[in-house]
Amino acid sequence: MAQDAPGAVGARLSPKLDEANLIRAVQRGDQDAFEQLVRAYDQSVLRLAVNLLRSQEDARDVFQEAFLRVFRSIDSFRFDCSFHTWLYRIVTNICLDYLRKRKVRKEEPAVVDTPEGPLDRMNDFEEEAAHADPERNMWNRQLGQRIEGALGGLTPRERVVFELRHYQGLRLRNIGEILGTSEEAAKNCLFRATQKMRAELGDFQ
Amino acid sequence: MNCESVTKIIPLYFYGELPPEEEDRLEQHLDACAACARQAESQRALSAALDRREMQPSAALLAECRHDLMRAVYRHEAPVRRPAQSAAPWDGVRHGLHTGFSAWLPSLGPWRMPLGASALLALGFITARLTAPGAAGPFNLASLTPDVISSIRSVQPAHDGSQPGEVQIVLDETRRRVVSGQLNDSNIQRLMLAAAHDENNPGVRWESVDLLKSHSDSSAVRELLINRVAEDPNPGVRLKALDGLKTFTADPEVRKVLAQVLMHDDNPGVRIAAVDALTAHADDNMVGFLQGVVQKEDNTYVRRRCVKALQDMNASVGTF
Repeated sequence: MAQDAPGAVGARLSPKLDEANLIRAVQRGDQDAFEQLVRAYDQSVLRLAVNLLRSQEDARDVFQEAFLRVFRSIDSFRFDCSFHTWLYRIVTNICLDYLRKRKVRKEEPAVVDTPEGPLDRMNDFEEEAAHADPERNMWNRQLGQRIEGALGGLTPRERVVFELRHYQGLRLRNIGEILGTSEEAAKNCLFRATQKMRAELGDFQ
Repeated sequence: MNCESVTKIIPLYFYGELPPEEEDRLEQHLDACAACARQAESQRALSAALDRREMQPSAALLAECRHDLMRAVYRHEAPVRRPAQSAAPWDGVRHGLHTGFSAWLPSLGPWRMPLGASALLALGFITARLTAPGAAGPFNLASLTPDVISSIRSVQPAHDGSQPGEVQIVLDETRRRVVSGQLNDSNIQRLMLAAAHDENNPGVRWESVDLLKSHSDSSAVRELLINRVAEDPNPGVRLKALDGLKTFTADPEVRKVLAQVLMHDDNPGVRIAAVDALTAHADDNMVGFLQGVVQKEDNTYVRRRCVKALQDMNASVGTF
């Protein structure tokens, strides 16, 4: 059975630092505190954006837009929910906008930008051992393409719910809170997402 | 529990989202039903395949994102100051010149960055047109390189004796140069001191002050820090400079500036940092001043900080 990914998401604050005090300091205009707050969450935010959008350029834009929104609207944060939930609400809203625009344009980038140059995102699916086995290599490549196709067939909301549950290890209740919906709706979304993917990839085992 | 209901909860089972008793019932069903067990296996295989599709952003990308974000934050911080009590007639003009674009940028809200980018794009477009290959004339356009930033000072018809239709364009050019060296090198420090006054770029000022503050034993650096605390239009830069002065809070000149900041700075964060710095050094002469601040301060946090400082000094909060 799959486990949650402890530590995969969320604060890298030292236990000594109280997040609430840090947020209050940011609200008072302390920009060092803002930097600390960013560093507590920025890795998981960037990972979420990269995996959802499959584009480093888009992920970079989302990263900047999300944290600038946090910076500009931190005064409106009233501790009604956790900062993590509030931040992820901002990030997922921006990502949803990107995914919806892509759906409208029917675009799904086939090539991912990497520091080493453009990389076909299907290629990184290869196993190390597969290099010695061309047949296995080809099979993996095809599977990678089919998985990308299956993920691309999800609605933006299904994609986000799946990403938050599968890769970020968040509980469905928390996902519902982030997306402004119920746990039940998040469950249904996850179910639809997995059904669609299993239908698309049914015979790949 | 029948096969149809099991199909619906297999993903929840897999992600550990089922209550324990429901999980037990499902496992009993899977032990007895080969078709549902295959579905559970299919879910596991799907998950394993998806795990291998996860992308991990590189450390370099993260570093770039952090750097870009902090630059954007400090570049676009709204530099609005409370007017000084005894502003000289020229101060308004100086302030206007000092803040430049940033004085009106905040009112544009979210349009600030796109507009700034458009302005740069427009300049780049004009420059690119001017430097197009094959252009000829008395000015050697081809000699312009990407390291040269040009802006147009004037455009006018060419003087007498030139070809009909010829125009004269006057360009101001800034050449980019990379200089590197140790912070304790006097030449580097001189450049950094100049950069800390760059009126157009709070990001550069912030970075310069941040680097220089570790050299606050130098009188030139300390003078700069005092100047930036009192004068910089960007609160981020003022906070950085204030941070650099923390070890000099016993210095009367520094204390005078900190007291001015506490009385007049428009940013509560900066005022709080000023209270903390002032009260870090025990000084009974501060009592009356802090009591005065408590009376006039409208920010709860700053007021509380002053009250606490007075209590720590066993002084009364109010004046009689």
